[in-house]
Amino acid sequence: MTVPVIPTEMIAPLYNPQTFGDRSKARKLFKKIQQEYPVGIAEVPGYDPHWIITKFEDVREITRRDDIFLNAQRSKTLASKIAEQMMREYSGGKPHIFQTLVHMDEPMHKDYRDVLADDFMPQEIAKLSGLVEDTAKKWVDKLEQLGPECDFAKEVAFQYPLQVVCNLIGLPEEDHQKMLRLTQWMFTYADPDLKRPGADPSDPEEIIRTWDITYNEWKEYFLELVENRRACPREDIASKIANSKINGCPMEERAMVSYLIIAASAGHDTTAATTAHSMWQLASDPALLKQLQDDPALIKGFVEESIRWASPVQQFTRSAAEDYEFHGETIKKGDMVYLSFLAANFDDDAFDDPDTFNPARRPNRHAGFGYGTHICLGQHLARLEMTKFWEEAIPRLESVELTDAPKMAESEFVAGPKSVPIRYKMKQQ
Amino acid sequence: MSEGYKKWQCMSCGEIYDEELGLPDEGVPAGTRFEDLPEDWICPACGSNKSDFILLED
Repeated sequence: MTVPVIPTEMIAPLYNPQTFGDRSKARKLFKKIQQEYPVGIAEVPGYDPHWIITKFEDVREITRRDDIFLNAQRSKTLASKIAEQMMREYSGGKPHIFQTLVHMDEPMHKDYRDVLADDFMPQEIAKLSGLVEDTAKKWVDKLEQLGPECDFAKEVAFQYPLQVVCNLIGLPEEDHQKMLRLTQWMFTYADPDLKRPGADPSDPEEIIRTWDITYNEWKEYFLELVENRRACPREDIASKIANSKINGCPMEERAMVSYLIIAASAGHDTTAATTAHSMWQLASDPALLKQLQDDPALIKGFVEESIRWASPVQQFTRSAAEDYEFHGETIKKGDMVYLSFLAANFDDDAFDDPDTFNPARRPNRHAGFGYGTHICLGQHLARLEMTKFWEEAIPRLESVELTDAPKMAESEFVAGPKSVPIRYKMKQQ
Repeated sequence: MSEGYKKWQCMSCGEIYDEELGLPDEGVPAGTRFEDLPEDWICPACGSNKSDFILLED
């Protein structure tokens, strides 16, 4: 059987980060792909052929098969042949600059994940409730001080999860903005407002150079931190990573540095993106604020729906370790698959009326945290942070509206709103 | 805990299956014992196998 090839002119916008600066445009394109090419392959010049997986159940099927669809062999994000070759040059032969949990296969993935797995179980995260609640209150107070207008994304959403996560890692407050800057250089490398100054994201060499620069700046910082925590361990994530052994040996350097990087980047950026989306929704629909104020039990559903809606990790890629039968076609050994979590979370076959934001949606088993053994380690912390923030903010908000159109960061990888300008009133306490 | 209902946890993602509550939105009625879930039942959050769940102690 001939594999359906998705026309390049149809799919070309997926390879341009600017497309994702307009979420409605990106979602419309994915909807078209879901309808016309639910199973299809892209043969785009400059890239190896790759399957485009957009249907919710297909994303779940493939991410669940970690034994077949591997993470470590090829780039984890859709990369051109030139970009992938350059990553190998910069990393000493690996297909990635970073070697985080998401870049690992078994058994390495489990060995490294187990270092923090128990600490991120829901019952352990619940013990942080008071700490997170205090930080949430501080940032809602800050929101009140900033009124009657602010850019919620920049002034609150970027900052609140950053502070929670950096404190848990054990990073001094004066270094938090450095973590934010490097995170933005890495994830939103192509966005004109957030990218590394002077970088030209249209040049594949420049993208990989940016990732290499960010990796090395983080490496220099974290190796010093690791040395410190090995000499003087504390009760923080940095100490745990610095002093953990994998099969009796210290972690490999790139994997250890990357472990700290993913904590200090994805650990806050995805929550920031989702929190900004939540406010975007509130400011767009006055009835939503009233609905949540009338029924605070819906706040958990509001958070869950925000995660589905935000889908901050928009895509990952994997490669097949062996032939795999898939909807009557064969994904051949070595084939790349592009998994769109964004598309999956708006799949009409998986969600009733997916293009409507509905905090009462039940069940809401979205793919916002991924699926399979690589599901987001920090998901329970993220939920706690957002729930505590909105449980504090919702009762105190009298009204909120947009003063201008929110702007999404231009990135095909991890991204959220970079600007949510609002005018608001807080209730007198 | 009423009627000796137990809680089970997915060791991969932390999802908790509470026998007392079941998963009514997902077709598992309240009161369904973990042992009565089909053997091919998978974690609704991450897709791990039923065997990846462990009993949570009180």
